[in-house]
Amino acid sequence: MIGIWGKGLLGSRQGRLFGAMLGVGLTIGLIVAVGSFTVAASGTMTARAVADVPVDWQIELVPGADAAAVNEALDKAVKRRALATVGYASVAGFAARTGQTVQNTGAGKVIGVPPGYRETFPHQIQLLLGTWDGALIAQQTAANLHVGVGDPVSIERLGVGPTQVTVAGIVSLPNADSMFQAIGMPKGAGPQAPPDNVLLLPLAQWHALFDPQTSVRPDSVRSQLHVGLTHSGLARDPAQAYLQVERMANNFEARVAGSALVGNNLAARLEGARADALYARVLFLFLGVPGIVLAALFTLAVATSGLARRRREEALLRTRGASGTQILKLAGIEAGVIGAGGVLAGWGLAALAALAWWEISTFTAALAWVVTAAVAGLLLAACGILLPAWRDARQSTVAAARGSGLRAPAPLWQRLYVDIALLGLSAIVFWLIAGTGYQVVVAPEGVPQTAVHYDAFLAPLGLWIGAGLLVMRLMRLGLERGREGLARLLAPLAGGLAPVVAAALARQKDLIARGVALVTLAFAFAVSIAVFNTTYRAQALVDAQLTNGADVTVTGSTGAPPAQLLQGLAALPGVAAAEPMMHRYAYVGTDLQDMYGIDPARIARATPMSDAYFAGMSAREALARLAARPDAVLVSEETAQTFELQPGDLLNVRLQSAVDHKYHVVPFHYVGIAREFPTAPRDSFLVANASYMGRMTGTDAAEVVLLRTRGDPEAVAAGARKLAAPLPGIQVSTLGETRRLIGSSLTSVDLRGLTALELGFAVLMIAGVTGLILLLGLAERRRSFTILAALGAKPAQLGAFLWSEALVIVGAGAASGAAIGFAVAEVLVKLLSGVFDPPPEALSIPWPYLITVAVAAVACTAAAVRVMLALARKPDPLALRRE
Amino acid sequence: MTTPLVEAVGVGRSFRLGGQVIEALLPASFEVFPGDRIALMGPSGSGKSTLLHLMADLDVPSTGRLTWPALGASGRLRPGRIGMVFQASSLLPMLDLAENVALPLLLQGHTQEARERALQALDAVGLGSLADKLPEELSGGQAQRVGLARALVGRPKLILADEPTGQLDHATARHVLDALLAALEATDAALIVATHDAEIGARLRSVWYLSHGSLHSELEVEPAT
Repeated sequence: MIGIWGKGLLGSRQGRLFGAMLGVGLTIGLIVAVGSFTVAASGTMTARAVADVPVDWQIELVPGADAAAVNEALDKAVKRRALATVGYASVAGFAARTGQTVQNTGAGKVIGVPPGYRETFPHQIQLLLGTWDGALIAQQTAANLHVGVGDPVSIERLGVGPTQVTVAGIVSLPNADSMFQAIGMPKGAGPQAPPDNVLLLPLAQWHALFDPQTSVRPDSVRSQLHVGLTHSGLARDPAQAYLQVERMANNFEARVAGSALVGNNLAARLEGARADALYARVLFLFLGVPGIVLAALFTLAVATSGLARRRREEALLRTRGASGTQILKLAGIEAGVIGAGGVLAGWGLAALAALAWWEISTFTAALAWVVTAAVAGLLLAACGILLPAWRDARQSTVAAARGSGLRAPAPLWQRLYVDIALLGLSAIVFWLIAGTGYQVVVAPEGVPQTAVHYDAFLAPLGLWIGAGLLVMRLMRLGLERGREGLARLLAPLAGGLAPVVAAALARQKDLIARGVALVTLAFAFAVSIAVFNTTYRAQALVDAQLTNGADVTVTGSTGAPPAQLLQGLAALPGVAAAEPMMHRYAYVGTDLQDMYGIDPARIARATPMSDAYFAGMSAREALARLAARPDAVLVSEETAQTFELQPGDLLNVRLQSAVDHKYHVVPFHYVGIAREFPTAPRDSFLVANASYMGRMTGTDAAEVVLLRTRGDPEAVAAGARKLAAPLPGIQVSTLGETRRLIGSSLTSVDLRGLTALELGFAVLMIAGVTGLILLLGLAERRRSFTILAALGAKPAQLGAFLWSEALVIVGAGAASGAAIGFAVAEVLVKLLSGVFDPPPEALSIPWPYLITVAVAAVACTAAAVRVMLALARKPDPLALRRE
Repeated sequence: MTTPLVEAVGVGRSFRLGGQVIEALLPASFEVFPGDRIALMGPSGSGKSTLLHLMADLDVPSTGRLTWPALGASGRLRPGRIGMVFQASSLLPMLDLAENVALPLLLQGHTQEARERALQALDAVGLGSLADKLPEELSGGQAQRVGLARALVGRPKLILADEPTGQLDHATARHVLDALLAALEATDAALIVATHDAEIGARLRSVWYLSHGSLHSELEVEPAT
């Protein structure tokens, strides 16, 4: 009997079986794809985080330490790939003569660089001008001393006389913060600013010049071992890797017994990456789990779409004497066929996704996910088919099973107000989090422990499911009590049949409400993911714009300012606007800060001024405050707090004069706080009027030119590079380059793979719920439509029934889903504010994607209705004979 | 001379099942006239339903020519001209009885009087009081009587009933047939009932026999009293 049943099932129900398998396959595909993506992403997190750490460890030898013993201890404690000994000497300052004037700097450092250092640690020193062979001077120091390649510079050593070197090259030190870090400071101590004046010498020359100083002032000279560790043994999770690296350093320090201290750059980077990794995990949870839940609901909907038909068949079997066990076995065949087919289809889909977006090897690495998904698929198929059969066999009468269930009582969740409870829970969690401002991810600096408030997930999940259920409740209520209104609404489509069509829909309120709820959830999922993703990307762009300053940024020095090329740059093809901006250094107290001089009336022409850049005022107001007072200055939050500044307060800063190259006090008046500013560092900076700065420093040289492009920024950048070639030290960068740089670092969690997967899946899911579920639901009632056709219903009249049902399900579902989707996106953005830098002012709406989703929904609905219409239009005599 | 409602010349129907051709109805010629009361008898699978579906224009003959001289052209026959009573319950589960019965009229565009005539038709089969019930709340006999009401509500010229009592007990079957004959008493509509119940055959004026797809005799009988 079981064989006959199985054969019959495969022989006469291929369409329904295939549809159900496809539904199960989509779920499994998503679970495996999300799983393998998570494995792929988490597998590379540590690697990505540590890839561009310039020097993993800087080991400072205390005076008198045995270098050989330290080296030996190092070899025992860690596996290393690179090692170099670097000399650090403090000096009283540097001096250089320009014409009749002598320029002096404050205290500085002279670094002894061993041979091969730049090849071993290529990101530490960048040559801007000249050659590597000889004394290299830092860009800022060269500017302070007004020296160039070939000029002599006097080094004022401590305790011994000055000595002179000739500049062979001008360099920048991109990692000066870590290069000159204070090693051995207690955890939590504030970072130490790098020295303003730096000179680099070949190690042999450095020894020749500073060994005498070592003997006189041993406290002023240090040696450091710069170490590159082997990263292959690091844990994939940055939090684990951080602990691992910290323990390695502790182990090493214990071995050397106080004769060396570790500056653990690798641990510092991993410490910073922990929060990103945790955010990544939270994002996988917040963005991935709803997709999996939706997929499971979709699978259940597909599996249960034939429930009424199966009930009738099982009732018939019971009247023919089949036992409960036999019926369960028969239901098991269908569940097994659908489950197994779905598993294979899902694996195939996931493999395709893995091939398309990431490496197929991750698919095999995510074996646990592959197996879990298969089990989930089989369980879902069993829940949709076996469980109802088992329940009916135990509880239902044959007569009840043969009924249509149109007058069934409200479901349990509705009677228990689960929807309202979920929405309430969501609101409370959201209020607690958004109201108190606590972060979902907590990874405090210097503390090994981290915390993730997974409970925050209840806010979007409760909103999503609660609102979906509420829509279901309202649909049931509306269909039950608003039949006349529905008839009026459907009159243009159904004509004189509208009251009957409305009555039919009202009596199928459970079926319709379930369909609407599923479409609602699918739309809500698609809209929320898409809006969140677009907002995230838009903020990444804002971040890149902040970092780069504009579409294309040309950066030079006070001595060779690119603003002298302003007219030429503005005339380049594809340039929409070109604005100069000063970039100087100013002392605020003892703190050296970046200071930007702008024309507040024109700066926004070249780079967008976001409200998020300023605290307590809009961008327009901030620029207006600057424009209103020549000596106005915007300062960072940190500076305002440190100096307890109030609007209107006098702020004296020291700026270098172009006349005597000395720093002089220049008075400014504080007018507000700038949180961010194009090209500015994140910690502390100043923004003032360029005209005032120019007047007070004796030079209106603008060291930066910001270009807004209307064409290809890369082409504009190429033109700018060509134009600026004669100027020394000019750098041209584009927004695209910066975006790639930011996007490839872990500071911005890479959502592309996950969201591409989810957005693609959401379209498939919407196609599935509007097309497949609708078609399967209609197919289950094919006999009703065949009877209608047999009674003489014309195609348009059949269409009135079919289109009306589709319109109610898809129309109501899409409208409510879109509204819920925006609400969920708003909640997600608020809860995950930590991943945005700077936080978004408003949600970004992905119109092209939303239009794609709407088109997919309309197309699939139309296809489902048309297929059903074609099937129903020609009456099937056999169907009329069957009950 | 009376124009026939149905005129068949060499009409046959075959189906292809796998590699086999099944001759459901061998070529047959016949006419049906207004007022005819025909019992179409034969064992299960003899082709009764096939013949009825062909006459109802629900199916297309494989051979021969089938026309409806007094009813109109093919494709425009239902729902006004031919009333069909199906073997199994053919009520739409999501509509109440009055809506089910009114459906043929609504499909013809008679929206104003549809409900009133549907209630009359339900009254005629003794189910007026159940007008707002759903089909699932009816017994098998009641469901078939509603099917009759729906077939009659459009006042058709030809009623085709496919084993309307096949799933009913004798007493209920008799009630259904009584209701059908009573409703047609004052009309000149033709009635063809496919059945293997000899008692029904005996109550109609003519009996057509079908065996293995072959319509091999037409027999005039005296109506039973």
